[in-house]
Amino acid sequence: MVNYVIRRLLLVPLILFGVTVLIFGMLQFLTPVERSALYVRDIPKNERALEGVIKQYGLDQPIPVQYWKWLVGTRDPHTGEIRGGILRGDFGYSRTASEPVADLIKRRFPATLELALWAVLPVVSGGVILGVIAAVNHNKPIDHIARIFAIVGWSFPDFVFGLLVLMFFYADLKWLPPGRVSDWANQVIMSPEFHNYTKLITLDALLNLRLDIFWDAVRHLILPVVTLSYLWWALQMRVTRSSMLETLRQDYITTARSKGLAEKVVIMRHALPNALMPVVTLGGSTVVGLLGGVVIVETVFDYHGMGLAFAAAAVQLDVITVLAFTLLNSLIMVVAYVIVDVLYAYIDPRVRLD
Amino acid sequence: MSAYEAQSSSEHLLEVKNLTTRFYTEDGVVYAVNGISYTMDEGDTLGVVGESGCGKSVHALSMMRLIPIPPGKIEAGEVLLRGRDLLKLSEEEMRHVRGAQLAMIFQDPMTSLNPVLTVGFQIMEALKLHQGMSDHEARARATELLEMVGIPEASLRLDDYPHQFSGGMRQRAMIAMGLSCNPMILIADEPTTALDVTIQAQIMDLVKRLRDKLGMAIIWITHDLGVVAGLAQRVNVMYAGSLIETGPVKEIYGNPHHPYTAGLLGSLPRPDDPPGTKLFSIKGEPPDLLGLPKGCPFAPRCTYAVERCFHEAPTLEPTEPGHLVACWEKERVEKIQ
Ligand SMILES: Nc1ncnc2c1ncn2[C@@H]1O[C@H](COP(=O)(O)OP(=O)(O)OP(=O)(O)O)[C@@H](O)[C@H]1O
Ligand SMILES: [Mg+2]
Repeated sequence: MVNYVIRRLLLVPLILFGVTVLIFGMLQFLTPVERSALYVRDIPKNERALEGVIKQYGLDQPIPVQYWKWLVGTRDPHTGEIRGGILRGDFGYSRTASEPVADLIKRRFPATLELALWAVLPVVSGGVILGVIAAVNHNKPIDHIARIFAIVGWSFPDFVFGLLVLMFFYADLKWLPPGRVSDWANQVIMSPEFHNYTKLITLDALLNLRLDIFWDAVRHLILPVVTLSYLWWALQMRVTRSSMLETLRQDYITTARSKGLAEKVVIMRHALPNALMPVVTLGGSTVVGLLGGVVIVETVFDYHGMGLAFAAAAVQLDVITVLAFTLLNSLIMVVAYVIVDVLYAYIDPRVRLD
Repeated sequence: MSAYEAQSSSEHLLEVKNLTTRFYTEDGVVYAVNGISYTMDEGDTLGVVGESGCGKSVHALSMMRLIPIPPGKIEAGEVLLRGRDLLKLSEEEMRHVRGAQLAMIFQDPMTSLNPVLTVGFQIMEALKLHQGMSDHEARARATELLEMVGIPEASLRLDDYPHQFSGGMRQRAMIAMGLSCNPMILIADEPTTALDVTIQAQIMDLVKRLRDKLGMAIIWITHDLGVVAGLAQRVNVMYAGSLIETGPVKEIYGNPHHPYTAGLLGSLPRPDDPPGTKLFSIKGEPPDLLGLPKGCPFAPRCTYAVERCFHEAPTLEPTEPGHLVACWEKERVEKIQ
């Protein structure tokens, strides 16, 4: 197992190298002037000053040198300060956000992380657990109800579904608001008495023992979380259900029953680990799908996270910002796939002991 | 039926009466097992033979109450194990019978062990459940069992996963699992069909040795009459979900009275056949169990069939003591040479 994990982890730098080369390659489609946003906030209008910037940051040097500078940054000869360098977490300046991309990410990432973490909840409970329950109660009412919900979720695009629930619960019923928190709650969060431990509002509210803020944040999260996760829990539920049904037909399940094991033990101990394999495999794609969904869902619900910033940057062709986000996206995906691989090996000895 | 019932008055180890199982599928009702009755005594080895799809497995799974419900349903019958009707037990009571008193091993050792649990764990599970053993005791016993079925370095192999075992070793492990709680009866559902011929012989030898040592009764299901001859004392021949002939091995082989049994025996190759001998084969299609024929299920393929066979189903009647046949024309049936 340890060997297997190490082998997987050794692959990560290799994959990330590939990703950086790819993204750096895309940056080459920009002019040197545009690329200077990697290092300076304001691109000079004056031709001579511009040339100075290009020289200073080596934007006219051979590609490998530029790549290296893009990775680790270059020193400003006047101030001695190092600028740029994605490995230092400096992605240049965002034209659309008028701030360093790193600051934009720092500000927006917690909001999106909070949304994504809450979205995992329905994917696991609504998808995996309900899938198992539906399979075990094959063709009983609970199975039919779960399947109807899954088909609906599977057949609605998330932006259509999002707009529908927004119209209904926000515009008509005025039950659930868009945005991240209400104004009054935002004032409390900004005040010095409120400690922002994690920047995840729901968690911080609990840590500050402010149930009113917690509830306010949850009310804002319900619609985006439901919209974001519906498709994915519907898919997980279908996969879990059919995988569980398939597993329950296997010979070793009959063997387990023939030993006199209780049905609960047969399902939890003998069927579930086998049935979960395709579910775990799908976990990687689910993370990717959730990341993509975030852009649409944050836009529909005016939820100020990474997705909304990404959409704004994309619309205005702010390539520096878009590529920085793409890089981050790839990093998350690589981590997700490593976790999936490790989980897979944990469940299946045939993978682990190979 | 009356002659049969008169014989079975004293208490047997196992007494199956009128066992009837059907599957209610979308295509219609599958008449998988149609009123089977027989008995077994302590230490008996019973062979159950018949061609594919004739209900051998369903009959065994019905006794274990392991057929999927729905679509399956045990319509009628009794399965008396030392006089206790298993079909009347609660699910909870039945669980204490499965694996403890009535154990079963299956055809395909490649698929009948759980791939994500170690072989040792899967053997110990039954020991802990039925005999209340601690982890430590169960481990010691599981090692003994694996040694008993001839797996070298048993204590190390306990921690292996099924995919690290060969097919033969897996079937040995299945046998160890089946015998772990000293069952009264071991049901073996074609346990050697999926194995190489040499491994088959080894497994057969192993089972014989274990039977002599432990004294459990065995129900050995197979479609290979040759296998049964070397192992069983009695044979049940099944056709289309019915028991059509039952008797001591010698009687069945030497003096078959059902045309189907005679046909099966005639289709066995013999060592003294001159090369190129054409084997006898039963003509016609194996029966479709969707729907039950009115008369004898074998009649459409039978060379002895008379008018009566097509509208009246024959019942099991004795021809010799302990040898029963369900055939109207049994007096005319001759062994195929
Ligand atoms: N779960 C099920 N649903 C519907 N029909 C079934 C089911 N299980 C078995 N049957 C049917 O019951 C009949 C008897 O099947 P069974 O498995 O007992 O045959 P068998 O004698 O064991 O054959 P084989 O030698 O191939 O194992 C077959 O016609 C089969 O199609
Ligand atoms: Mg079978």
